[in-house]
Amino acid sequence: MIGVIVGTHGRFSEELLRSTSMVYGQLENVVGVTFEPGESVNGLVDKFKIALGTIEWSDGVLFLVDLFGGSPYNAASRIAAGYENMDIVSGVNLPMVVDVLVSRSTEQLEDLVKLAIRAGQDSMKSFRTVREIQTEEEL
Amino acid sequence: MEISFVRIDDRLIHGQVATVWVKETKCNKIIAVSDEVAADTLRKTLLLQVSPPGINAYVVTIDKAIEAYNNPKYADFKTLFLFTNPSDVLRVVEGGVPFKSVNVGGMCYKEGKKQITGAVSVDKQDLEAFRKLHEKGIELEIRKVASDPKVNLISKIQGL
Repeated sequence: MIGVIVGTHGRFSEELLRSTSMVYGQLENVVGVTFEPGESVNGLVDKFKIALGTIEWSDGVLFLVDLFGGSPYNAASRIAAGYENMDIVSGVNLPMVVDVLVSRSTEQLEDLVKLAIRAGQDSMKSFRTVREIQTEEEL
Repeated sequence: MEISFVRIDDRLIHGQVATVWVKETKCNKIIAVSDEVAADTLRKTLLLQVSPPGINAYVVTIDKAIEAYNNPKYADFKTLFLFTNPSDVLRVVEGGVPFKSVNVGGMCYKEGKKQITGAVSVDKQDLEAFRKLHEKGIELEIRKVASDPKVNLISKIQGL
């Protein structure tokens, strides 16, 4: 199974997982890591390593982090650089996490990464734009 | 038409249904069945707007749902049926649509209803409809999300 680690500035990751369970149900093999004010990137690397110890990741690890180039991203990249079967996707949001959890049992890491990015991007929509292009089909 | 899944959820299509149930049930169409919602143009449009990409969704009356089920034109439909209440399910079943199992996901609390689980509240009319569906041998299982364990609805309404 591919393990998932969500890493963010502040407690966003924990709350994001709480929101995820409202939509997805009970969460398994996914853990949130927080980066608090005043912490060092080294400390964050250690937190990610501890998180790795709590999950099963025989098929790889996907880190989902908030900001590209932010400390959670940088710390995760220091770990992922040492393994073939790890990758990081930034810009984490709720649809991305849900889609990853729904699909990870059937996807390889590489495909799961593509799917995560697509889910994140596709989730951004404007009400007015959607309404303009909407066509209704009747049965 | 193949019946992929039948769910009672008074929000009909929403985030949970669109993102998780659609994938779990491997449906390719969503048919939301409600006379009330089908007659409400705004609500209908807004519901159709949130249907997931690649899945056609329809909001139809009870009569239309029965007719569509029997129409050979829709043979390739793998349908996730959504209802807001069990009385509507019963009417569709009595109209000849062979549901085997009904998932009860969300029926929110209103004055005069009795809460039987965190997400499911029922009134007298609901109870009667559920009992009739049970008598017809239809499984009634409560689950908010696909990964929850199934809870037998009938065991929750005994003595009510």
